[in-house]
Amino acid sequence: MAQNQTGKETVVPVKPPFKKPFKRPKRLRTGYEELSGYAFISPFIIGLVAFTLYPIVYSLYLSFTNYGMGGEYEWIGLANYERMFTTDDTWRQSLKVTFLYAGTAVPLRLVFALMVAVALNKIVEAVGLYRTMLYLPSVVGGSIGISIMWRQLFGNDGAFNSVLASIGLPTHSWLGDPGTAIWTLVALYGWQFGSSMLIFLAGLRNIPKTFYEASAVDGAKPWQQFFKITIPLLTPVILFNTIMQTIQGFMAFTPSFIVTNGGPMNSTLLYVLYMYRRAFEFFDMGYASAMAWVMLIIIAIFTAVIFKSSDKWVHYND
Amino acid sequence: MKKKWMFLTASVLTASLALAACGGASDTGGETTDSEGGGSGDEQIKLRMSWWGSQERHDMTFKIIEMYEKENPNIKIEPEFTGWDGYFERMAAQAAGNNLPDIMQQNFGEYLNLYASQGLLADLNEFKDSGDLDLSKVDDSIVQSGMKDDQLLGIPSGTNALTAVYNAEMLEEAGADLPTDDWTWEDFEEIAYKVHDELDTYGTRSYEAGNIFEYYLREQGFALFNEDGTALGYDDDQILTDYLTRAKQMVDDGVAPGYDVIQQIQGIEDELIVHKNAPFDLRWSNQMKTMSMAADYTFDLNVLPGDNISQGMYLKPAMLWSVSENSEHKEEAVKFINFFTNTKEVFDTIGSDRGVPINNEIREEMRADLDEIETKIYDYIDKVTENSSPIDTNFPAQSSEILTELNTIDERVMYGQITPEEGAAEFRKSAEMILGN
Repeated sequence: MAQNQTGKETVVPVKPPFKKPFKRPKRLRTGYEELSGYAFISPFIIGLVAFTLYPIVYSLYLSFTNYGMGGEYEWIGLANYERMFTTDDTWRQSLKVTFLYAGTAVPLRLVFALMVAVALNKIVEAVGLYRTMLYLPSVVGGSIGISIMWRQLFGNDGAFNSVLASIGLPTHSWLGDPGTAIWTLVALYGWQFGSSMLIFLAGLRNIPKTFYEASAVDGAKPWQQFFKITIPLLTPVILFNTIMQTIQGFMAFTPSFIVTNGGPMNSTLLYVLYMYRRAFEFFDMGYASAMAWVMLIIIAIFTAVIFKSSDKWVHYND
Repeated sequence: MKKKWMFLTASVLTASLALAACGGASDTGGETTDSEGGGSGDEQIKLRMSWWGSQERHDMTFKIIEMYEKENPNIKIEPEFTGWDGYFERMAAQAAGNNLPDIMQQNFGEYLNLYASQGLLADLNEFKDSGDLDLSKVDDSIVQSGMKDDQLLGIPSGTNALTAVYNAEMLEEAGADLPTDDWTWEDFEEIAYKVHDELDTYGTRSYEAGNIFEYYLREQGFALFNEDGTALGYDDDQILTDYLTRAKQMVDDGVAPGYDVIQQIQGIEDELIVHKNAPFDLRWSNQMKTMSMAADYTFDLNVLPGDNISQGMYLKPAMLWSVSENSEHKEEAVKFINFFTNTKEVFDTIGSDRGVPINNEIREEMRADLDEIETKIYDYIDKVTENSSPIDTNFPAQSSEILTELNTIDERVMYGQITPEEGAAEFRKSAEMILGN
């Protein structure tokens, strides 16, 4: 409903923007129209086929071979998969580490992102500045530089220990202790909450203010508003973020490669890092391809489960 | 609303799945770098050359490349260099893409044999016959170390040996004996403990399991692998148990640092001995130059301890120069390797960073103006040349993985997760499995 300056309602001529019947402009048919259409999308099609479809199919084929690196190789059926599931202790360890990592780092990041988004949503002044500052870690987050910084930060003589020492707390070898090394990586993942935060923020902006006003009139406390209004109305965004982050968590590589290189005692050996080692350190390409496929299936299962469960807890406001 | 979110979620999901699969697939696709290979004939030829090393080595190698390009204006060498970490992974990616550099710094042992097994390296024998590669002033035994199955796959860049490098000042300050040419492991430990007690530093850096255990085996008359590289070269697990027990005792007593400390060392310039946090380090002689430049004093070099030192000690090619099989300019690549091997100016620049020169004449000429640490390195290599046994060449293609396994087990023993006995047994089990026995 439109209003003019004085606040008095005026009748605006209703003009449905999309109801007008579409009329193709008169033009000579040249027969090249379809062709030019394909030409326009060809960069995507070629990219998809050459860099995505072909490698995917090829890696599936390789996973049934003992392909090393160049040289001869042969079809060995399911032997790679059999070895993975029966004898490879390191594979089992990497899977365990990855589940622990994804299982803790993803919720940590989501909770953190949501908390910051809610706080940001309340800020009125200079919101752009805060948003940029909080998003910054995610922009640089996946980079080698941050991982190297993290290694320094949690090193034996690192900043974290210095702070602990200065307030009289005992220091610890965070990266050297197999019990704590993984948590430094979890913290790194949680710290890079920027992109989830922005999506949460967009979702929060979508919640009509009237709900809060109405509930405030009825005497709802802020925390009641949070759990009864904000969370339910945000569930589609939560679902989206959860799936995104779960996939990212399973595929994490850089932190364990740079910060700890899988150590100590393989306590931070993420799945993708082990896959990389098999492929590029031990020239075990067929096996690494098989590992990639197993990871694909694991991610697909997790995503399907989250999707399936969404009927139970996601509310669509329509 | 529902539709919008469902659509967004579904589309992102599809994209991510595609990415996930792609992540795996890229192992096989390899990484394609932009190498056009250069023109043909006598025109400008581009050679790609890769090596690993410290910043010192990078700088010195640039100078040598410059020198070569000045003499050969039609050659343009494109350097690709990294630290040791990640070097072979990078090479592996290029190997997968059939895109190895023309000139490649190779490592003796597990890596050379792995690359040989995949047919990735060119046989340089024909160039030796054609005269492009002059090895007439190189001892046969040294040329041999670059051969595998009668193929000449690598030219040693220089000669190297394991050494017990030490800080004489610290030993004297602690009132400990200096090492001798016939010291035992007990003598070594006694000195290390004494320094630890007196100076409140570490007594030694902890051992790098791959190299030192191999020496430990050789010194007792065994080898890491049997003659045809199909199994371990020793039958009694007690040897590894002893080795691990010795190493662990020192770590437990605080005489040698644990993995939590070792892990934090960033590059050889940052080693404990450089900062006088330990008087001993067991490592390769060619690293002494860079390390002593980082330190404010000069090290001394001694043979490793043991009961049969000359049986255990061996000369090793510090690294090898190889030409990749996929190179389109093998002849030009070989000519550069020939230049590197047989030009005194090269070694005036690089010193002993890639080992002591293998060309006998150059080695003698070099002696005239060596600095203090280089003189020590040359003298040390001379000493080892006379008191050593041939290097073991029987590394199977899987040895890289087996050595990784040895390091993992060493780590687990040092952390106290398993006992030395369990570690020794587990290593055998893993090694046999990797070798497919």
